[in-house]
Amino acid sequence: MMDRQGEPPAASGWVQCRVGGFSLEADWEIEPGQVLVLFGPSGAGKSTTLRAIAGLLRPVSGHVEIGGRVVYDDGGVWVPTHERRLGYLTQHYRLFPHLKVAANIGFGLRDRGSPASKERIAELSSLFQLEGLGDRYPWELSGGQQQRVALARALAPNPEMLLLDEPFASLDAELRRTLRRELRLMLAQSPVPVMLVTHDREEALALGDSVQVINEGRTLVTGDPLEVLGQPGQGRVARLVGVENLFDLAVQVRNPRDGTMTCVGPGLRLEVPLDSGGASPGGGEDRVTVGIRASDIILAKQELSGSSARNQLQGQVVSVESHPPGYAVTLDCGQPLRCHITGAALEEMGIEAGQQLWAVFKASSCFLVDQEQPPKSETDH
Amino acid sequence: MAKLSTMGRLTAHPAGILGGGGALLFALFIGLPVVALLVRAAQQSDFLDAVTGDVALTALRLSLFTSIVSMAVVVALGTPFAYLLARNDNPWLRVVDHLVELPLVLPPVVAGVAMLMAFGRNGLIGSGLEDLGITIPFTTAAVVFAQIFVASPFFIRAAKLGFQSVPREYEDLAQTLGVSPWGTFFRVTLPLAGPAMFTGLGLAWARALSEFGATMMFAGNLTGKTQTMPLAIMTAMETSLDNALALSVMLLAGSVLMLAALGLLTRRRWQGQ
Repeated sequence: MMDRQGEPPAASGWVQCRVGGFSLEADWEIEPGQVLVLFGPSGAGKSTTLRAIAGLLRPVSGHVEIGGRVVYDDGGVWVPTHERRLGYLTQHYRLFPHLKVAANIGFGLRDRGSPASKERIAELSSLFQLEGLGDRYPWELSGGQQQRVALARALAPNPEMLLLDEPFASLDAELRRTLRRELRLMLAQSPVPVMLVTHDREEALALGDSVQVINEGRTLVTGDPLEVLGQPGQGRVARLVGVENLFDLAVQVRNPRDGTMTCVGPGLRLEVPLDSGGASPGGGEDRVTVGIRASDIILAKQELSGSSARNQLQGQVVSVESHPPGYAVTLDCGQPLRCHITGAALEEMGIEAGQQLWAVFKASSCFLVDQEQPPKSETDH
Repeated sequence: MAKLSTMGRLTAHPAGILGGGGALLFALFIGLPVVALLVRAAQQSDFLDAVTGDVALTALRLSLFTSIVSMAVVVALGTPFAYLLARNDNPWLRVVDHLVELPLVLPPVVAGVAMLMAFGRNGLIGSGLEDLGITIPFTTAAVVFAQIFVASPFFIRAAKLGFQSVPREYEDLAQTLGVSPWGTFFRVTLPLAGPAMFTGLGLAWARALSEFGATMMFAGNLTGKTQTMPLAIMTAMETSLDNALALSVMLLAGSVLMLAALGLLTRRRWQGQ
């Protein structure tokens, strides 16, 4: 449907930007049809990166290629925004309020009104389930329909790169999932490189082929979404991607035979995967930071006998909060431990504050997090 | 039902009692003179003669011609200027912004004297223009000058607000869709700012049509050359009340038509209004 000759487009480049007192360094490389997720707190520089690629902001230096074409180079190349062949989508759909749906979708088409452009509008309308809405004004549409129109409008002129700036942030969870699925389908049909900004982990995991974690204008890590967001190796990254449980512990004994080691901290004793080091060079005790995802923890009413899980901690329920789609239960096991469970589990077990419960998890659910030196202060979140 | 409950709420609220009284008084205060004007004009036997008389038609033609020319100038130069004001934070531009709004508070007679001092025969640049064979004061051009001077702020202010109300994100988006900056201005910015600009244009036009003081001082009261409708009314008052009434009714009709046209032009179809 979105036919193209020769090489499929891809995107790559790097930029250095300065906006007021904020400085940003970013680099990227995206294969056709792949989604690179920029993940990080607000103010990290994600949107600035997108604006720099779109040419809405002039970098201090850099080199930007879209579809094999250099659109910016600090040596003296500057292609204006309207010649960069982009699709740019933001959280505010910004449909043109004075134009009907069909005119919005076709806004970026040449020869508006020609049979070819009418066909393209019809094609996108059916792809995004917008048939029959062509004669409506944007205010007559629901939020989900508006975002579909915005997506169709961005895709109509066959862009060579898609820039998505938290495109689904203002939709409810259900609709967000539907639109993500549609976006995935659409990408399978027209393989353009996509850069997606989000601070929603679920979205990053659902859409990302790779993830780049950004904070304070610097890239902390780039990699596979599951690795980066599931068991992040860096303390800063772990906090940014929201690992719920992080414990600073001392290594008590290593069991190389099992591939585990026993770590202790105030009120805590955990079996975690063996680290690579021996005794620390300073001769003092070995300290490690251990992360556990809240969703990797099982709650039980009694101690589980005959279980393979290496860690069983008893604790009192401190709080139960709603955490869509389920609930977050915080146990006091010497240190607060956060667990995610479903609403059904909560009801069945009748969990309430004050109750004594057991938290059960495997040693392999625990992961070691490097503490970078020197520890940086957190500004965001 | 809905109407009843609204009324009920209004009478129970101080805003309903006080506001209602105010509304009634203002309606009388503005409506009564208008009605009086129409009644007196209707009592005239030779109303039609006065309306189609030479003096009236000449003045009307001149008023229309000069105000159309001045509005064309105001729109052509004021639109890009207003856009610049809306999109730029340059401190010098702020100064110019305030200067341009001065005519809103300046008595028109003072404006007329000031323009004489600038463009008059012995004025700052008027004497230079005179040497080039260009005379402005007491010509039709002076009428246009006076109208532009007093009326332009109404348009520029409204247009500036109109442009400011268009989020820049719309313009950015249009360009990412492959539309040039000029195309973006004409296809996005202008249509979205349009209603505000038409409001401003209507106000400016009304102000230009009713211009009296500055015209009197700077352009004079020459029949067929600088005597616009308001000046013609004042002149007619000295000799024949009937003629003055006829001219006044014509101008009143023009104002009402303008209001109606404005209502139509500033309607935003796309918001269901």
